[in-house]
Amino acid sequence: MTLQEQIRANRLRSFIVVFGFVVLLLVLGGIVGLALDISLGVFALVIALAYGIFGLVRARSLVSRLTHAEDLHPEAAKPLRRLVENVSIAAGLPVTPEVRIVDDAAPNAYAAGLRPTKSYVGVTTGLLATMPQRELEAVLAHEVAHIRNRDTYLMTIATVFAGVIALVADIGFRSLAYGGGRGRRGGNVLVLVLAIVGLLLAPYAALLLRLSLSRRREFLADATSAEILNDPEAMALALRRLEADPTRVRYADASTAHLWVESPTDRVETDRQGVMALSGLFNTHPSIDARVAALEEAGGFRLPEVLPAAYEPFGREHGLV
Amino acid sequence: MLWLWILLAAAALLLIFGVLGYNRLVRLRNEVDTGWANIDVQLQRRADLIPNLVEAVRAYAAHERAVFEDVTRARAALQGAQTPGAAADANDGLSGALGRLFAVAEAYPELRASENFLELQEDLTDTEDKISAARRYYNATVNRFNTGVQSIPWVLIAKPLGFNAREFFSALGDTAPPDVSFAPAP
Repeated sequence: MTLQEQIRANRLRSFIVVFGFVVLLLVLGGIVGLALDISLGVFALVIALAYGIFGLVRARSLVSRLTHAEDLHPEAAKPLRRLVENVSIAAGLPVTPEVRIVDDAAPNAYAAGLRPTKSYVGVTTGLLATMPQRELEAVLAHEVAHIRNRDTYLMTIATVFAGVIALVADIGFRSLAYGGGRGRRGGNVLVLVLAIVGLLLAPYAALLLRLSLSRRREFLADATSAEILNDPEAMALALRRLEADPTRVRYADASTAHLWVESPTDRVETDRQGVMALSGLFNTHPSIDARVAALEEAGGFRLPEVLPAAYEPFGREHGLV
Repeated sequence: MLWLWILLAAAALLLIFGVLGYNRLVRLRNEVDTGWANIDVQLQRRADLIPNLVEAVRAYAAHERAVFEDVTRARAALQGAQTPGAAADANDGLSGALGRLFAVAEAYPELRASENFLELQEDLTDTEDKISAARRYYNATVNRFNTGVQSIPWVLIAKPLGFNAREFFSALGDTAPPDVSFAPAP
């Protein structure tokens, strides 16, 4: 796929996602309205709409706040900025994204923002303290790839919509619990049961939609990183090094987990098998093994069992951490 | 009647295929142009740094005239280069001349320690990194565009339509980037 085809495919998918979410939302509003009260259904939809618009407008700074990311001091981080500039140029981005720092010992990184010209890359201080330049560049290229491929755009929309659906379902449950649906409760048990099932399932449907989007994208971004740097091994090495580090990002939960280069939440799940492998459905990322294997196959190399130990982390080298 | 419909359908399909294919080539060509513009910006930036660098060295080693002339000539060659291939060659030539300039600078500890010189050197290294980054992008776009115009059926009609295969910006050591795009695993 060329850059433009990839972007167009993502635009189309974004449209489908938005459409899917709108349908899901209308069905949910309809359930609330039918089972409980028409005005309550309308009320829930209006709230959802307002929340959605607010979320989209504020998404950038919201993500920044959620992850505790801070602006970079311009002088102190010149070397880091230069790295980001270089990978952006190699990726063909029109504008170099800003860099923000998350003060956290766990090595990780993410990208956020609706438009490529107004996006930023967040890196943890842990990443700077762990990665040598070559691998740091690969991680940055992975994030820049997300921006270039319009993944950040799609994921931001998906995140906001998932939040909206959770909100509407919540409103429905609360009014159910606090005596909503006056006068209908006795007669229409079937509608009530359907409503409860619908309200229960909707957030999971939204979550699944969001996660299925995110996982394929990781493979793509890994591949793009390898292509941008002409160095698939660097990305694979970086992934192994991320995996080897046991610390986890502090300010990461279900709402932002899919943004990071390595999943901050579902690492434990990756070893499960059989029935438990089903829980892989709810992983935000494919396993590191699968991602490294894909890179190895594309690049025609094998990573050594043991990572090269002697190296100087980029952050040390340039006095950033 | 049936054959008429079949003929019409075939013509419509051919038209759709042609329009889509043509638009794709236009898009690929625009990507190449953007990629080249990116390289050009960085080459210009590199050329702009040269006079200051020469002045900085001249202040300490005024008698090394031959080296300065070399660098100035190489810079002019870079700015005068018309095609990507020529620009790549001129860029390599400039690198060689700069190498000799820095070799001269080695002999002057005060020059090497001067703030101005260090900054220029850093900017130059940075620009070189950016040229190689821009080259990777440009060569990738050229690769896709050339594959587009050289594959059937476009190879037959691309030339008359004005789509000519483009030249790589190739420097020593690497040529076309490998194609590493792969389908995501299930």
